[in-house]
Amino acid sequence: MRKAAIAVLGAVLALFAGTSFYRSRHLREPVVPGPGVSRVVKLGDYFAPIRGTVNDANVYVLEGKEPGGTILLLGGTHPEEPAGRLAAWIFTENAVLTRGRILVILSANRSATTATRLGGAYPPDFTIPTAWGGQMFRMGDRWSNPLDQWPDPEVYLHYPTRQELAYVDIRNLNRAFPGRPNGTLTEQTCFAITELIRREKVDIEIDFHEAELQYPVISTIVAHEKGADLAAAASMFISSLEGFSIGVENSPKALRGLSHREIGDATDAISLLLEAPEPFLDATRGRTNRELLLTGKDEFVVRAGKRGLLFEKIDEKGWPIDVRVGRHTSTVLQLLEIWSADHADKAVDVTGVPRYGEVIQKGTGAFLKDPKTVDPAKLYFE
Amino acid sequence: MDTIVTLLYYLLTAYVAVLLVRNFLKRKNWQEEVLYILVLIPFILRLLRLK
Amino acid sequence: MSATTSAAIVLAVMVAAFVVAKLFKISTELSLFAAALAGALAAGDGLPARALVEGAFTYFDIVLIFVTATLFMNLLKESGAAAFVVRAILRRFHRHKAPLFILLALLLLVPGALTGAGSVTVLIMGGMAATVLATMDIPGPKIAAIIFVIAGLSAAAPPVNLWAMLTAAGVNMPYVGFFLPLLVPCVVLALLTIFILGAKAKPVDLAKALAELPEAPARMNWFRVATPFVVFFLLVVAGRVFPFDVPVLGLPLMFAAAGAAALLLSPVKIAFFRTSADTVHQLLPLIGTLTCAGILVEIMALTGVRGLIAITAVTLPVTVVFLTLAVTLPVSEAVLMWGAAPVLGVPLVLLFNTIGLNPVVALAGMSVIWPLGDALPPTAIIGRLTTSTVGMKGSYGKFLKYCLVPGILIAIVGTLMVVFSKKLAFLTVF
Repeated sequence: MRKAAIAVLGAVLALFAGTSFYRSRHLREPVVPGPGVSRVVKLGDYFAPIRGTVNDANVYVLEGKEPGGTILLLGGTHPEEPAGRLAAWIFTENAVLTRGRILVILSANRSATTATRLGGAYPPDFTIPTAWGGQMFRMGDRWSNPLDQWPDPEVYLHYPTRQELAYVDIRNLNRAFPGRPNGTLTEQTCFAITELIRREKVDIEIDFHEAELQYPVISTIVAHEKGADLAAAASMFISSLEGFSIGVENSPKALRGLSHREIGDATDAISLLLEAPEPFLDATRGRTNRELLLTGKDEFVVRAGKRGLLFEKIDEKGWPIDVRVGRHTSTVLQLLEIWSADHADKAVDVTGVPRYGEVIQKGTGAFLKDPKTVDPAKLYFE
Repeated sequence: MDTIVTLLYYLLTAYVAVLLVRNFLKRKNWQEEVLYILVLIPFILRLLRLK
Repeated sequence: MSATTSAAIVLAVMVAAFVVAKLFKISTELSLFAAALAGALAAGDGLPARALVEGAFTYFDIVLIFVTATLFMNLLKESGAAAFVVRAILRRFHRHKAPLFILLALLLLVPGALTGAGSVTVLIMGGMAATVLATMDIPGPKIAAIIFVIAGLSAAAPPVNLWAMLTAAGVNMPYVGFFLPLLVPCVVLALLTIFILGAKAKPVDLAKALAELPEAPARMNWFRVATPFVVFFLLVVAGRVFPFDVPVLGLPLMFAAAGAAALLLSPVKIAFFRTSADTVHQLLPLIGTLTCAGILVEIMALTGVRGLIAITAVTLPVTVVFLTLAVTLPVSEAVLMWGAAPVLGVPLVLLFNTIGLNPVVALAGMSVIWPLGDALPPTAIIGRLTTSTVGMKGSYGKFLKYCLVPGILIAIVGTLMVVFSKKLAFLTVF
């Protein structure tokens, strides 16, 4: 009798938790392709072994009438850094191109969008408020879901450099570039992205991220040496025109597997990585919940700042999601404007995407389209 | 090859889950029973591919 | 209410729940679980099923390592291999204390160094080493102390150091340059430990010792003993030498393969299912602790208690941080185990980096100190594993007392490595 009671209690706990895990893993995130999207292909089209897997991501192709350069935007390399996915979402649903092409991946590591951090107490999802009610997104993690890649080794050796990295990072998309064709799911996904860059002759690849404030590489453009001048010019213009400042860091040669290093080395593309501040990721953060994720307000992180332990300022206003998303959209727009001015034949002209000030003023939700207003046949899901 | 390894891990998980259930049924102390159930939950959810 | 006040209240409730549970004679594992439940309730989160179960998953892979490694060891014991090896070592070395000690210390360092888990050292080598040391008239708690301290150092020893790897991953630093800063202190401290604690050891009375030890089965031989270990080490080495040609196997499968070899080569018939079930029961306190500590870590993150602890640790004056490393690191390990790396390791390394220390040497120094916490309550996970594996009789307090001298030495060396990390930067060559 007692045994039965204990077993039932355990089953109830497992049932509630299991339902929550299942729901967040299978939560469908609608995408309303914007006026610029001419077609949607799959990552598996560039590397067949990825086809049909959880990481066979949608690739939204936005094309202008006139030929020009090709840009790749990577959202969801680390899904626990939501401003990156949201900025990519805004480009997909709003951008209009007159010249050139933009390829957008919203879930570069789709597997990682379906899990949350063990021991991290992440919320399963979050909602961006919109005029039509709100759009819900999966929270996601930094690493691929163990349900899609298991087991981990006792130490992870990066391909091809053999640099030793923490064992969990074998499931970290931003430690597995340029990828390995016969490797793990994460390595194969990186290989597929690298193949896409080669085959589509991408000129600039931009990887959206966010970072904890205690991490030195923050509020910055990390640039491969091929993109150092472009990043420096963008940083200068942003600081004087956009209402916020962003630094530039050289991609270190000693740290392997990162997109800004490996994609630049392995392909003809310029590889850049954007970091926005996300207090939710700080080790000193207080209560872990949706509010912290979206407002970026945290008393403990502010205290760390007062002690000079942070690499970005923070006060009681926090780092709201709109600020972080706006930093990303403005930075991309500035990069494109400078690039297009210097490379007339490879120009990419884009309109319809809100800049920093506009995202803050209207909110990110103002640029998410209501899926109910669209013919369901034209919807995509992440 | 990776798929075979993963499959072996599910078999291993199932075997340990069976051992946990067997030991749970043999125990006479409620504290040990509760602990067995707590340890068992992750094994079951992994086997059901829920987490 | 400020975040600090509310997190402090939740922390107080958690501590109180733990203490009350212990007073009601609830086991340590379930007391940790009770603390987590009370914390979640106090923070107004009700009974957060998702967080509780996600927390229970935190150390799931490590639970699998524990189960497979212990099963492997138990199969070796059942087959008579353990008795065979101990008898052989004694016959060869019974006259020479120093080489025997050095051999034992190095043998104890290897399994943990390769896997990053001190538990693996205890499980693979602990029983055999204990038997050898017992023949030298060293008291049980002292033997347990020797094995525990060296097991801790083995976990810190390169190539795999989980605290350093997890912290390095948390601050986006490559796990490079750690080999010497970890190897030198770990080897030196392991030798010091065995020679200090074994100082009063008497020469082995061979005849008596052999009479007391269990007989090995007649058909047992070196091939049967060595093959399972060779299988294990070949699999580990293959993953290192040909990482892109062999699939990722993971430690649990490697131990399972070694166990299968031990089972097939055993000269005596082994009741496999029964041995497996007994193994799991033997491990229940440990895998239960891992599960409940994972739940606690998750609830601490959920309620902000984790942040309160981290912010308090890193905002102390730097001198105080240095002086208290020997306390804060082991205590964080005792409560959170490897969870201590993201909670305390990450902010501390970033703090050290900001004030101009060498982060690699400083982190190496910290990760030599961390394993000391594995003997401390509430979890005391490796400490309890050691005392049970070596079959120690006598109080746990006595065991802790013997750990004190090497423990203090380790704490001093680790702290000095942090403080003088800049001057020791030359060690970070590979």
